[in-house]
Amino acid sequence: MRLPVEWIREYAPVPLSSGEIAERLTMAGLEVESLEETEAGAVLDIKVTPNRGDCLSALGVARELAAACDVPYQGGPDIAPEGADAHGIADRIQVHIEEPDLCARYAARVIEGLRIGVSPDWMQRRLIDAGMRPISNIVDVTNYVMLVTGQPLHAFDLSALHGPRIVVRCARNGESLMTLDGTLRSLTADMLVIADAAEPVAIAGIMGGRATEVTDRTSTALLESANFRWQSVRRTARTLGMNTEASYRFERGVDPEGVAYAADLACQLLAEIGAGTPLPGIVDVYPGRQEIPELSLRSARCAALIGYAPTDEEIVRALSALGYAVHRSEIGVFAVRRPSWRSDVEGEIDVIEDVARVLGYERIPERLPSGATTFGSDTEASRMDARVRRSLIGSGLTEARNHTMLAPDPLDESLSGYDRISVRSALSADLSGLRRSLLPGLYAVLDRNARRGQGPLAFFETGAIFGQDPSGVMIEEAAVAAIICGPLHHRSWVRDAVGKPSFFVGRGIVERLALDLELEFRFEPSSDARFHPGRQARIILDHRPVGIVGELPEEVSQELRTRDRCVVMEIRLTPILDAVTNHTVLYQPPARFPAIARDLAPRVPLDVSYARVHEVVEAHGRHLLEDIRVTDVYTGPPLGEGLKSLTLSLTFRSSERTLTDSEVDDALSDMRQSMVSSFGATFQEA
Amino acid sequence: MDEISALLDDAATGAAEARTSQELSAVETRVLGSKGRLQALMAELRHAPPEERRSLGARLNDTRVAITTIFAKRKEAIKAIERERRLEAETVDVTLPGLPVPRGRSHPLSTTTDRIKEVLIGLGFEFFDGPELEDYAHNFAALNYPEEHPAFDEQMTFYINDDRLLRTQTTAIQGRAMRGRKPPLRIATVGRCFRYEAVDATHHHTFHQVDVFMVDHHVSLADLKGILKAFASAMFGGDVEVRFRPDYFPFVEPGVDYSIYWRDRWLELGGAGLIHPNILAAHGFDPEVYSGFAFGLGVERIHMIRHGVTDLRDYLNNDLRFLWQF
Repeated sequence: MRLPVEWIREYAPVPLSSGEIAERLTMAGLEVESLEETEAGAVLDIKVTPNRGDCLSALGVARELAAACDVPYQGGPDIAPEGADAHGIADRIQVHIEEPDLCARYAARVIEGLRIGVSPDWMQRRLIDAGMRPISNIVDVTNYVMLVTGQPLHAFDLSALHGPRIVVRCARNGESLMTLDGTLRSLTADMLVIADAAEPVAIAGIMGGRATEVTDRTSTALLESANFRWQSVRRTARTLGMNTEASYRFERGVDPEGVAYAADLACQLLAEIGAGTPLPGIVDVYPGRQEIPELSLRSARCAALIGYAPTDEEIVRALSALGYAVHRSEIGVFAVRRPSWRSDVEGEIDVIEDVARVLGYERIPERLPSGATTFGSDTEASRMDARVRRSLIGSGLTEARNHTMLAPDPLDESLSGYDRISVRSALSADLSGLRRSLLPGLYAVLDRNARRGQGPLAFFETGAIFGQDPSGVMIEEAAVAAIICGPLHHRSWVRDAVGKPSFFVGRGIVERLALDLELEFRFEPSSDARFHPGRQARIILDHRPVGIVGELPEEVSQELRTRDRCVVMEIRLTPILDAVTNHTVLYQPPARFPAIARDLAPRVPLDVSYARVHEVVEAHGRHLLEDIRVTDVYTGPPLGEGLKSLTLSLTFRSSERTLTDSEVDDALSDMRQSMVSSFGATFQEA
Repeated sequence: MDEISALLDDAATGAAEARTSQELSAVETRVLGSKGRLQALMAELRHAPPEERRSLGARLNDTRVAITTIFAKRKEAIKAIERERRLEAETVDVTLPGLPVPRGRSHPLSTTTDRIKEVLIGLGFEFFDGPELEDYAHNFAALNYPEEHPAFDEQMTFYINDDRLLRTQTTAIQGRAMRGRKPPLRIATVGRCFRYEAVDATHHHTFHQVDVFMVDHHVSLADLKGILKAFASAMFGGDVEVRFRPDYFPFVEPGVDYSIYWRDRWLELGGAGLIHPNILAAHGFDPEVYSGFAFGLGVERIHMIRHGVTDLRDYLNNDLRFLWQF
């Protein structure tokens, strides 16, 4: 809200500069977002929090400033007593409120002999400084009074109304109204309207109708000053997509006690500037008058919550300055009644806040909490996340963070087969749904950096992924994914320091992750359409699939204009949390007996997987196998077509005795025989 | 000069002239070998007159010892020379860069989050995780938001349906963390939040927030100020001053926004206040017995202040030129 400083000073005569006033207001809770110097003086742009509708006016701001600076608040202009005939108005217009729950009060005055013209310069100046456009003397006065008091006003052309009767009611289905902005609004039964005898003439608290607008030809006006329930105004304004100075104020609460004053002030101003002759008297229907309950304020409670003890005098002064009625009811207890414009004050805590605020938050001391010791800790999920990040960073990957929301993407598939969760009425494709996979984001990061010629292109992310299962249950779980394209480090004069990535670099990184998490993953061929059909594996933990590692198809490398392969992996972390958390390594004494190392080099048909060879080795290891390593895989001459040779380095050891060669030889011989009979392996030796 | 003296001289000269171990051992074989000159002189000894044989034998023996010593010394010397030559041949250009070892990086928001956690855990706060895909009840209703209130206008929300939404604030954790527990509580959470915002250098629809709260006997605004000061001093280093300014959030009363004075300027960090009595009561904590504070802060904001980053968008852009700076 924009407000000239001199306007505030008129009601709160503080001996401070504009800058100091801005500072005081900010520290009192009315944040001054900018201070603009104009020819006529400084203009403040004040951010009023949604609970303080009473401060959407010059008087409201002045009251806060006066309280903060401990100077007397002047209040608004006095209303001069009127002449006789104060009851004549009742013969001219009637007001009927059909919905007292939605309209607490409705006051109307009549102005005759209108001479529509421009408003005086000083008024125009203030309106312009406050960000409003001068229109005509009568409209300007209604706006001006709204800026002074916070009470929205509206003027109708009385002769344009069907009869002298105002009815505050809900719209009937099918009714419509052309509002002042020239838009035809369809009304529904939950919208409060101002109607004449025939039809709606204004949408209550939001905007008037064009047909009853005050024009050059208007001679008699009906001035409305009313109080509408904020929920109703807000709902209607939102439904109609309207936001006006009036609706903005009503939504944030307008003082029901200020209704008549605003109408009277407007009439007085209209008379003063010669715009018309107000008919004495007011029609004031006030079905929603409410007794404001008294609250107890305990000074001990106040001290306990704000951290220091203000004196009784300070409490009385602070609250009185804000318009509270306050007296001491017993020792240490004040009976307070909030001012009518402070509907946000609901309990003792709100009163305590006002005391602390006026006395200044800088008075609050600093103290560290005493009381019972609490145990600081992180969550298991977060600790696992930290271990995952450490492992991948150690493997040379750079951590990225990507958007949760994304446009549909071919890489965005759920490992669990979940459907995508869509964002309702999304404004753009990029914000249209929740990621089911971290891979689309990582691919985009790789792509962006590749285009700028940057590297190494190796990224990972941990974060939440989402999906909807077939029964419609929405699932959120943690996951980790990585993408690598090209070497893991910059080019170097040291040749072949680290190989170019292929499936096995990805799998190696996953295996290292498993070691760091003290887990054992198994890998088996998979058939995810997103990846290279012959270079992808499902990651299995305890018979459950938890992830995937594979190469992206060659088209992707072409898209990235690289000859390097692109390797990715994604693992669901939530399902492995238990395994990670509940795993404890048990101590094994170091081996006391020597090991025997042997190589085994079967030649097998190409389609026999290493897993099958491994299985045979384990099956015949006689519990003596300590380690199995693949040290060579070879195809090509002198091997025949369709054959490969594997070299396995085996380590045998017993924890109880020194092994003999013949024991190991027997085991090896069993392995060979089994390989020969299971898949036709041949051996060069023996 | 007799033959023995000549042999000694020749051995000494031969050893001195030998440049390599091979040359030296050739000379050694010639002199000391089984078919060498010394052996030949020894063989002649039996032809010598008996009275000279003893002294001649002694001389020959002394000579053998002397020659052996000469060769041993020369061998040492040659070894040292050869070692020197070998090392010289192995010398590399140490000004060339080393073998590249792959190095990953932590995202600056992770690094900052880790630090925030370290400080808060040290202050006795227990971390708690909540979902990003929240329900209306936890994100708004349980936080004392009146239905239809304009306070919602400040939190433009991504809704999935009437009930589910992307959380607009990590404060949504409060209801989850208080359920089934009793004070004293010191709880903290950190995570992603989402609000419909046009993206620019200081606004983003996706951002990271920390939310911290405490419930116990006698918790006051002074405790809040004290904890904030301790937290900010640990995060930013040095003695940090904390300032409150009144602000409004439905879930706290009084509500403040807090700033810290650091490196000669006031920096707004986030919102805070005393937990609204309605919220305490809703969780079965008698507001007459217990009180609590809560504060929030942006992870990006902390990092931006510490490192002078000026564009919020950098954090989710993942440009290596940005990520590799931290």
